[in-house]
Amino acid sequence: MSALVRTTLLGEVETPRLGPEPYLVDRDGAPYVPTATGGVVLGLRLGDGVFDVDGDHAAPGVTLVHPDPAACHALTAFACLGNEAVVRTGDARGATGRVLGKREGRVIAVFPQEVLARMLPADQVVIRAHGQGAAARGGVTALNIDPGVLAALDVGSVRARVPSHLVGNGFGRPAHQWDLDVQVDRADAAHWRLGDLLCLDDVDVRHNAGHREGWLTMAVLVHASSPLPGHGPGAMPVLCGPASAFTVRVDPTGHAGLTPELLGCPDA
Amino acid sequence: MTPRTNAHRLVTQVLAGEVCAPRGDRFGYRVDGGGRAFLLPGMGGVTLGVRVGDPATGHAADHLEPGLSVWHPDPAADHALQFLACVGNEVTVLGGRRPTGRVLGQHAYVLVDLADADDVAPGDRVALRARGQGLRLLDHPDVVVKNLDPDLLPHLPVDTAPDGRLRVSVTARVAPSAVGAGTGMASEFANTDLMGAPDVRIGDLVALLDQDHRFGRGHRAGHVAIGAISTGDCRLFGHGPGPTTLFTGPAEAFELVDDPTANIGVGW
Repeated sequence: MSALVRTTLLGEVETPRLGPEPYLVDRDGAPYVPTATGGVVLGLRLGDGVFDVDGDHAAPGVTLVHPDPAACHALTAFACLGNEAVVRTGDARGATGRVLGKREGRVIAVFPQEVLARMLPADQVVIRAHGQGAAARGGVTALNIDPGVLAALDVGSVRARVPSHLVGNGFGRPAHQWDLDVQVDRADAAHWRLGDLLCLDDVDVRHNAGHREGWLTMAVLVHASSPLPGHGPGAMPVLCGPASAFTVRVDPTGHAGLTPELLGCPDA
Repeated sequence: MTPRTNAHRLVTQVLAGEVCAPRGDRFGYRVDGGGRAFLLPGMGGVTLGVRVGDPATGHAADHLEPGLSVWHPDPAADHALQFLACVGNEVTVLGGRRPTGRVLGQHAYVLVDLADADDVAPGDRVALRARGQGLRLLDHPDVVVKNLDPDLLPHLPVDTAPDGRLRVSVTARVAPSAVGAGTGMASEFANTDLMGAPDVRIGDLVALLDQDHRFGRGHRAGHVAIGAISTGDCRLFGHGPGPTTLFTGPAEAFELVDDPTANIGVGW
């Protein structure tokens, strides 16, 4: 088995951007102003419900990008859940957090709340990337996750199973750089929490995300819901294989998933 | 009877575009759903030998775009071109014999079906007579029409049924589990890739079940989106031949008729 290589990546905290018109249109045709879409987001934490806030793709902590598009692709591709994130500039210089996930071309990193309160857009953050390229075990491919976190995570327990036809934005895209938005309403998923594991049935993400009968993808909820049609709470794939390789236990009330303690970032 | 419309209130806006050169990168290969590398033509440029009415699949191609692939190099002008071009709009190639064709659909480019395309090359400028966005069916208030030239409507297998529903002939009814890339995007842009698509031809009318495309593309139980197949073979996982949206609304507003000849080319 080949040894995984560690790389050091540089990202910067995203600067939120809007066009000259502030409105987007939700799935019922109503205009809305998107809030908390990237940058430094306060008031949303790992463990909060994905329908607890009225933002648009709101993620806890910060989102990281790189101003060079190719470097941003690499940053997104190689950063893995659980990797250490070290603030390199600004008032929080030297503080550490952890990568939670990724969303459509950016990395989501969480920090202790007192660190987050000192962070600003354009602060530089170093990611100690480790995890992509892990060998498949027992027919199961791991992606987007630090081996140390994967070993500690109870991947037999999930908050819910999701049929593939509810997967929206993210299908047809590279799952090593992208999450899968789940098209659910508050009535179905008010109990889903950031950090929960979901089991996506009949979904294969090894070479782009798409529908494949009899395959499963385990994914971690990394951002909250969105009013946009075809969008919703975002789940980043971490494991994929034939259904026969998994024992899945759905626990709507007792599921723990990825906690700040397990992630090595208390008070995230 | 052809449904009554507000076509008399719609004006024509002349848009300029150019045939986009196919794009590659120095690494050449892409990867299919089975992990196999491929290098195939398909997107962009001038694609000969596949026209409206021809089989969508069976070609050695990826993201097959029949005919001319047209864009505008200025991003805002390109948005106007992509959003305002409608299926059936007339397109004139500026130069040479000035051949004229018709918009057959949208993808990441406006796709133009043209009988006399042998002399057309990437970079050639085109003029497009955009007309159709804003079209309404006066007796079908629950049905939203988009991306359709009003002059094409009388030639489509679409009429008002005796019970007042909109009767539309389709070659296939597609289950929501087949919906891949394109979900979550604006329904005036690109199309809906179908994974494991039925045997269809370019231009075939198909019904996507449980899809709501009124304000973008997304899943909604009990809604229907009807479109015309605009792209063919795809090798990327999560992708496939896909329709450009023409009609969408609650399922009870439609009477679907299965007809293997239902194709926009009937009225070409």
